[in-house]
Amino acid sequence: MVVVGLLIMLAGFLLSLLSLTVASTVGARMALVLAGIAITLFGLIGVLNRAYLKNALWKR
Amino acid sequence: MTRRLLPALLLAVSMWAQTPAPAPTTPPASPPAAAPVPLTDVDVKSIDAPKPELRAKGDPDGSLTGTVADVSVSDAKKGLTLADAINQIGQNKIAVNFVWTLITGYLVMFMQAGFAFLETGLCRSKNANHTMMMNLIVYAIGVFAYWLIGFSLQMGGVGGIANLGGTAPLAREFTINVFGKPFGLFGQNGLFLMSSGTYDVGVMVIFLFQMVFMDTALTIVTGVGAERWKFTAFVVSSFLMGCITYPIFANWAWGNGWLANLGANFGLGKGYCDWAGSGVIHAVGGITALALGIMLGPRIGKYTRDGKALAIPGHDIVIVLTGCFILAFGWFGFNPGSSLGASGSGNLRIGSIAVNTMLASSSGALAAMLYVWLRFGKPDASMSGNGLLAGLVAITGPSGFVNPVGAIIIGAIAGVLVCLSVSFVETVMKVDDPVGAISVHGTCGLWGVLAVGLFADGKSNYGGSWNSVNGSVTGLFYGDAGQLVAQLIGISALLGLVFVVSFGLNFLIDAVVGNRVCAKSELEGLDLPEIGVLGYPEFELKSPSPY
Repeated sequence: MVVVGLLIMLAGFLLSLLSLTVASTVGARMALVLAGIAITLFGLIGVLNRAYLKNALWKR
Repeated sequence: MTRRLLPALLLAVSMWAQTPAPAPTTPPASPPAAAPVPLTDVDVKSIDAPKPELRAKGDPDGSLTGTVADVSVSDAKKGLTLADAINQIGQNKIAVNFVWTLITGYLVMFMQAGFAFLETGLCRSKNANHTMMMNLIVYAIGVFAYWLIGFSLQMGGVGGIANLGGTAPLAREFTINVFGKPFGLFGQNGLFLMSSGTYDVGVMVIFLFQMVFMDTALTIVTGVGAERWKFTAFVVSSFLMGCITYPIFANWAWGNGWLANLGANFGLGKGYCDWAGSGVIHAVGGITALALGIMLGPRIGKYTRDGKALAIPGHDIVIVLTGCFILAFGWFGFNPGSSLGASGSGNLRIGSIAVNTMLASSSGALAAMLYVWLRFGKPDASMSGNGLLAGLVAITGPSGFVNPVGAIIIGAIAGVLVCLSVSFVETVMKVDDPVGAISVHGTCGLWGVLAVGLFADGKSNYGGSWNSVNGSVTGLFYGDAGQLVAQLIGISALLGLVFVVSFGLNFLIDAVVGNRVCAKSELEGLDLPEIGVLGYPEFELKSPSPY
C-alpha cells in the first residue's frame, strides 16, 4: 500500500501538470490543479500514512 | 487734541496698510536652456583632490575622505579619465550588492545556531548532545554536498544575475520539451565552483548565499528525526538532500527551471514566485521531514496503545525561546537579502521587505498565543514561539511582493494554522514531530506559496519584469488569477514530487543502514550510544515518565 500511496501522489501531480495543456482558461486550469492536489493529499494521508499506521509501534 | 490726533493717525496707518500692492511685474523671459555639455576627461582632471597638508590634519567631519583622490586610475601616466570614473560607479554599485548579499548570508548562516537551540531545548536532556551534533554537522555536510554538485544542479543554468555583475558563466540549463515548451530541469555549470568559468567573484557570492539557504532546509529535517534518528542515516540523508532533492526543486523555482517559466510559457502570471523560499526552503524541508517522520514512527511512549497522544516536554524552554529570537534575527538576512542587492533594479524595496518580515512574525506569534490561550486557558510558550516562526515562514515567499497589511494577515493566518496543523499531525496522522517542524515549515511554507498568489499587490518593480515576464507580481486579490494557478502548480510539485523523491531516498537509506536506533538506545538517550558523550555529564538526568 505504501507504493500505491506514492503512485497516487504522483498521479495527482501529473493531473496538475496536464492542466497546462488540456485546459486553456485560468478557471479550468485552477480546477484541475486543485483536483490534483486533493488526489495527492489522499494518497499521502489516506493511503500511505494509513499503511504505516497499521503496523505502528505503539499498537504492539 | 491728543484725542483727535490719535484716531487720525490710526486711520492714516490703516489706509496705508490697505493700499493695494503694486501689480507683480512679469518676470523677464528666462534665457533658452543651454544644451548639456558632455563631460570630458579634461573636466574630470580639473577636479581638485584635498591638499595633503589639509589631509594631514585629520578629517573629523568626513568632508575630505572619499573624494576624487580615492577613484582608482587604470593608467597612472594618463591620470584620471572619464572611463575610470564611470567604471568606479559601476563597481561601487556591484560592491554595495556584494556586501549586502554576503552580510545577509552571514545572518542566515547564524540561524543554524537558532535551530540548534530550538530543537535541543524541545528534546529531552538525554538527547541534547545528539541533537546539537546533528545541527552542527548538517552545516558541514550541506556545504560539501552543495559545493560538490548541488549548486551546479540548482544555479548552473540561471543565466546572468544583474545585481551581482552578471554571473555569466552560469548559463547551461538542461531542458526537455513538454507540451511544446522548454522545461528546465537542472543546471549544468558550476561543478566544484571551477568548471566552465565559474571561478568568478559573482558566482562565489551567489554560492555562499544559496548555500546557507539550502542548509536551512536540511536543518528543518533534523527536528523531526530528533530523539530516534540513527546518526549514520542522518548523515547520508542530509548529504543526498543537499545533492539532489533541494537543488532540483530550487532550480525549478529559482534557477530558470520550468516552474519559474510558467508565466513566459503558459501565461500564468509571472510564473511560480517565491521571494525567499516559503516553498523552496521551508516547504521542501517540512515535506522531507514529513516523509521521514512517517517512516521513522513515533518515539517510544508518545502514544498509548489506544492511540492517544501524550506530551513529551522538552528540557529547556529558555533555550527554545532564545533559539526563536536568533531565528527571527537571522530572518532579516533571509528575506531582505533575497534581493541580492541594495542598489539598482528596485532594490530599495529592501526596507519594505524587512518591515513585512517583522510584521508577520509579530502577528504570527500573537495569533498563536491567543489561539492557545483561548482554547486551553494558558498562553503556551513553545506554541507562541512556533507562531512567531510560522509567521516568518509564511512571509518568506510573499515578502518581496506584498504590502504591510497583507503581511500582517499572512502572519496571523500562519499563527493559527500552525496550531491546527500541529494538532492534526499529532492526533490524526499520528506522526511524532518533537519540534513542530512539519507544521511550522511544511504547512506554513505551503501557505506562504499560496499567499503570493493571493496578496501580491503589483507594486513591486524589480527591473520591470519578473521571471522574464514584464510587469509586477500580482495576486488574485489584485486582479491576476493566473498567478494563483502558478502557485498551486508549485504546491502540487512540492507534495507530489518532492515528497515522493524524499520518501524514496530515505526508504533506500532505511533498507541499507536503518533509519531508527534500537529501543535500548532510545530509552537510554542517544547521547551515549550514538555520540559517546552526554550533553550534560554533570547533571543527574531524571525523566518525568518511565520512557
